[in-house]
Amino acid sequence: MIRLSDVGVRVPVAGPPGSKVLLDHVDLRLAEHRIALVGANGSGKSTLLRLLNGLIVPTSGRVEVDGHDTRTESAAVRRRVGFTFTDPLSQLVLPTPLDDVELSLRARVRDRGERRRLALDWLDRYGLAAVAEQSIYDLSGGERQLAALVSVLAVEPSTLVCDEPTTLLDLRNRNLVSQVLSALPHQVIVATHDLALAGQCERVLLIDAGRVCADGAPAEVLDRYRELMA
Amino acid sequence: MRPTVSVFGGHLPGDSVWHRAGVGWKYLVVLALTLPALCVQQPWLTATGLVAVVGCLALCRLPARAMFAIPVALLVLLLVLGVFQLVVGRPDLAFVVPGNVLLAVWAARLIIVTTPASVLVDALVAAADRVPFVDGERFGLAVGIMLRSVPFLSGAFYDVRDAARARGLERHWVARLTPVVVRAVGFAQATGDALAARGLAEGRPSAPHPRV
Repeated sequence: MIRLSDVGVRVPVAGPPGSKVLLDHVDLRLAEHRIALVGANGSGKSTLLRLLNGLIVPTSGRVEVDGHDTRTESAAVRRRVGFTFTDPLSQLVLPTPLDDVELSLRARVRDRGERRRLALDWLDRYGLAAVAEQSIYDLSGGERQLAALVSVLAVEPSTLVCDEPTTLLDLRNRNLVSQVLSALPHQVIVATHDLALAGQCERVLLIDAGRVCADGAPAEVLDRYRELMA
Repeated sequence: MRPTVSVFGGHLPGDSVWHRAGVGWKYLVVLALTLPALCVQQPWLTATGLVAVVGCLALCRLPARAMFAIPVALLVLLLVLGVFQLVVGRPDLAFVVPGNVLLAVWAARLIIVTTPASVLVDALVAAADRVPFVDGERFGLAVGIMLRSVPFLSGAFYDVRDAARARGLERHWVARLTPVVVRAVGFAQATGDALAARGLAEGRPSAPHPRV
């Protein structure tokens, strides 16, 4: 379970007032299996997601994952919370999907042969065995996004945080990634502009100007989002 | 972003003698091919090294383009190096200097094209772990990321060149280089975040900061 207590995030900016508020007084308890964050560009969705994995720490307040403070126990937090980025090319840090998944396994599996076998097994589960040794630049958008997802799943987190996982994809690949996400046994927290994906979640949070301005079942929150964007 | 042919190439699966050889042996062969030419700087040694490395690359039984292709930027660099040596009155080095650069690039391909990056990283980690005060894991990871970053950065260069051309700024070097530097910094930030998010290269969480 993830808890955010009176969380605020500010970044320094040039000129007065000297800082910009990205998130303000956010109090949340995230326990549902599927949670979506919706909101305009720059509303604070990605900042909120980055807090959950400890990629950034709050300027005020605290974020806890299963009781571990992201400020002081980042290693424990990252073992529990995996993070996928919007652009899979930012996430895949080695030349092929196989190399990248092996990298995720390095901390737990020291034997090279066993690590390679496990990495291939992970890729095979998501239909990527055939492209395991291809350059990440030669993969389709959907294959890249799936490879990025597998590289995170190989760390075996209990929660998966996805920052706009379908934004760069065509309709076919968007459906493929949505299906994969919905079939995962993990808790999934996703920021998205894809209202169909948000509609499949148990809970939707609407973020606007750094504040949670609606929180509840998909139907009512997405109606509010449509009104806000009109 | 348009990825380009990397100067060093990327791993291509195969079953040649080079693919089956241990990575330690490959490093030894590469050193034997390159060090004499780089240290002695004699045209006949450079020529011998080039002939030998071409022979070794041919043994990989991979498409010739993947083994021998020279990116335009490297070709220009080789020409500039050769012409410079002629201008400063060293015709002997006009062949040796660019020849040695090409020899080093092709020799590096011999390892990189026939060895998965994870195996290269393992070998570098094992070697670096024996050096005092060196964190082998970080060293190996850094080299692996460097190999993956070369096509990204060269692709960024070509993308920015096209964008500058589209606005009639092809001769404006600031307009061509500044976005590449900005992209490189953004890429470095994204790579750092990706590693941190997976609990690799663990560091302290960062305070919020404006992103490039």
